Amino acid sequence: MCRTRPAALIVIAAISLSARPEIALPPPQARPKLAATQDALSIRVVSYKIEPRLDPANHTITATETLTYHNLTGQPQQTFPFHLYLNAFQPKSTWVAEDERDHAGHEWKPEQYGSITVDRLTVTGMGDLTSKMQFVHPDDDNAEDRTVMQVTLPKPVPPGADVQFTMTFTDKLPEVVARTGYLRDFFMVGQWFPKVGVWWKGAWNCHQFHASTEFFADFGTFDVQITLPQNEIVGAAGDLISSVNNPDGTKTLLFHSEDVHDFSWAASPNFRVIEDSWTGSAGPVRIHLLMSPGNMPSAPRYLEAQKGALKLFDEWIGPYPYGRITIVDPPHGGFNAGGMEYPTLFTADTTWYMPKSVLLPENVVVHEFGHQYWYGMVATNEFEEAWLDEGINTYMEAKIMDVLYGKNTSVIRSRFVTLGELEDQRAGIMVPGYLRWPDTDPITRPGWRFYDDSAYGAVTYSKTSLLLRTLEKVIGEETLRSALHTYFLRYRFTHPTGEDFLKTIEEVSGKDLRWYFNQAVYGTNILDYEILDAQSEPLNPDDAKNAGSHSRPDVYRTTVVVHRKGDFIFPVDVEIKFDDGKSLIEHWDGRDRWMRYQYDRAAQLVSAEIDPEHKVQLDLNLYNNSYRVQQDQRAIRKLSNIWMFVGEWLAQLLAWLT
Amino acid sequence: MAGTGPKTLLAGAAIVWRHQRILWLVYFINLLLATVGTRGAVARTGAILNHSLATERLVHGFSLGAYMELWFHPSLPFSASRPMMLCTAILFALFMLFATGGILTSFFEDRRLTAGNFFQACGDYFWRFLRQMMWFAVALIPVGILAALAAALARRVNQQSISPFPAVHTVEVAAVIILVLMMCLRLWFDMAQVIAVAEGETKMRRALKSSARLLRHNFGSLFWLYLRISLLGWVGFWLGLRMWMEHLQPEAIGRAFLVSQAMIVFWLAIRLWQRASEALWYRERLPELLVPAPLVPPSPVEQAPSELQPV
Repeated sequence: MCRTRPAALIVIAAISLSARPEIALPPPQARPKLAATQDALSIRVVSYKIEPRLDPANHTITATETLTYHNLTGQPQQTFPFHLYLNAFQPKSTWVAEDERDHAGHEWKPEQYGSITVDRLTVTGMGDLTSKMQFVHPDDDNAEDRTVMQVTLPKPVPPGADVQFTMTFTDKLPEVVARTGYLRDFFMVGQWFPKVGVWWKGAWNCHQFHASTEFFADFGTFDVQITLPQNEIVGAAGDLISSVNNPDGTKTLLFHSEDVHDFSWAASPNFRVIEDSWTGSAGPVRIHLLMSPGNMPSAPRYLEAQKGALKLFDEWIGPYPYGRITIVDPPHGGFNAGGMEYPTLFTADTTWYMPKSVLLPENVVVHEFGHQYWYGMVATNEFEEAWLDEGINTYMEAKIMDVLYGKNTSVIRSRFVTLGELEDQRAGIMVPGYLRWPDTDPITRPGWRFYDDSAYGAVTYSKTSLLLRTLEKVIGEETLRSALHTYFLRYRFTHPTGEDFLKTIEEVSGKDLRWYFNQAVYGTNILDYEILDAQSEPLNPDDAKNAGSHSRPDVYRTTVVVHRKGDFIFPVDVEIKFDDGKSLIEHWDGRDRWMRYQYDRAAQLVSAEIDPEHKVQLDLNLYNNSYRVQQDQRAIRKLSNIWMFVGEWLAQLLAWLT
Repeated sequence: MAGTGPKTLLAGAAIVWRHQRILWLVYFINLLLATVGTRGAVARTGAILNHSLATERLVHGFSLGAYMELWFHPSLPFSASRPMMLCTAILFALFMLFATGGILTSFFEDRRLTAGNFFQACGDYFWRFLRQMMWFAVALIPVGILAALAAALARRVNQQSISPFPAVHTVEVAAVIILVLMMCLRLWFDMAQVIAVAEGETKMRRALKSSARLLRHNFGSLFWLYLRISLLGWVGFWLGLRMWMEHLQPEAIGRAFLVSQAMIVFWLAIRLWQRASEALWYRERLPELLVPAPLVPPSPVEQAPSELQPV
């Protein structure tokens, strides 16, 4: 049924926001008068009406799309670019070339190719412009890439006016690859229609589709009327307005969605639908969970994680204003469709054998739901600044998972082995890890210009998260959370930039943080501190001579040298502990390469540790951050024991095979 | 047909018990080689860990993140460890191949050999068993092909089926079949070694033929004998692993070492038990045949008890 967003929802949201003790929130930019309804949450630039018809047997969609574009650019527009994302899955596309570059040996099967063909394009009042369509390649010289199409109108569209494009197009869906396509009778239909670019920073922003990039689009409304066989169960990113069974055995479902910048849907005759709900500061949210066969044991886990994420995002960041969220669980073998975000709909990920101690399903749900905020509402440019959605979201994901499932057990929590999100982001077990790619690229680099796909993942996701964790050391956890809250409220339903984010942090914290951002955000500096020397010696040389006797020297000279190995300058605390039970905290600005601390005390050194609170998560090597005088061999004995066991067992296995 | 009831099984275990020296020798070599194989990594990693406070995550629990950070440590403490570990594993396999002659002679004759006699028997059979190993590698090829076919079938089923379970069951069935096949192969080659020792057969192809004939006529009893011991081994291994992983405190490093090494000794004992039972089975199967004269005359002191003398 249709859910019209009540104006009360806005009021509730405003009340809940005003309760937070923060900075005033002036609009960041002069907003043009809303083109559509008065209670719109966003500036609705686009209005799509699409009528797709799914042919499950041939994996094709034929559709008619009517796009009404409101020219709010402030100037006449005559040329309009459109994304044709499905053409990325063509043999000579830029996407495929980049994928083959980064994944040597990966062979594309013929069924993995997909395409979108615009059969006809007309513009109201300007006639048939099909012949005017041309492919352009704004990012590279690949003439074979057909992911961006451009059309020049016979006459410009004046500022403030509307222009209406009508297209008929045909999708050939690939066997599920990069978040879209089919698998057996499952269909994940994403990035499937011609989508107009964004007028941004005084120019059209419409990049080709790259292997490491995602999306960027304007807000608006979607009315999508899907026709497909009656046995199909559909999950879509919109409210179901009507469902009509047709005489030919098909049915037509009409969905409506507003204040979003994309529309995706999924269909399968084998989904099991689970409905649940949660109520937050903006009212009730219906949770639609579409489970695939074999994965049912993960359903309660998805729901628990989803509700936990809704609650904590609501408390920490702001209200979730949509009345629904749809979770699609892809079927087995559908990994390429899993873990993908679309406005008000995302795909999860699990397997039939998922152990309870491995929190992958929870992890994916928290992450993808987080994208409803960082991408869905705060709609940053994922092509050019992916760290603003993936990175911030990864930081939030770790925070939420830590609260819900324990700090050091939020990824794996078996009795023998544990793994926390933060540890994972550093070491890269489930996600690309920071330690492997600490300095290849600054996080601000456009997605397709990273060293490779793996470096993109490590830097964009993990490094951004870790640099925000490290920033907590400078401005405090609460202040950073408050900054994120302010950033969300200020920039939701807009397209902010990285600088908007950084300035918000500086504003909320009241600190000039350029020194940090220049190194961590814009730079590739390596942060690595170490204890270079730590020892206590009797101060009196005679005492040293008598060191073997029973009498203890009166005074020891304790020396601790801290060394900045990397080129990242960061202030750190150093904790020095003595054997009389006392400890000192020294603060070092880290500007010089090293710092020596000396103490003459009637006690000997026990240990010295840089960053005793373990906040500096960008530090490349945590093992050299501390030094204890007395060796502790328990860890190495434990590791040695495991290695020996593996070695002995491997040897016996080999002996059995000879 | 010779029986393979509890009597044979227990008598096999008793042989291993009486020849414990062999078990401890094999365990010692296993431990020694594993120590050598891991020594480099232990030294390099110890240099990183022993004075660091960051090891708490490894001592009080086992943080996979803390462990994986060592992989990315600038000094690469694990580099060169994997090849070393593999080399020592291969050395152990070769040692076992070498020792099999002595082990089987001891078990078959059920008497304690002197060290010199034991190693003489090892040397006598080493080249034969090495040649046999080549045949074993050849015999593994069809099993490998079968495994590849099963994997392809499982993939195909997985692609076509709406539910994941048909593919899962395909894999389960294939795994059981392949495991049984591997056990059959092992049994076949094990019995050929027993024949080589019992009958002084120098041609391993002939021993393999005899073994195949033997298996064809006594497959049920022999496989059942082998399977029961294997199952006991797996159950014991699983229990040991559970105790180590779930019931020991993370800080109980000494006890963890004892449990893990007990598992290794148990696993070795299981293998020796299989060998002893095979030898005993063969000895019991041919009462009409004279057991070949001992390779080395037994010393009066080491005479086996009369009830255990070969018939």
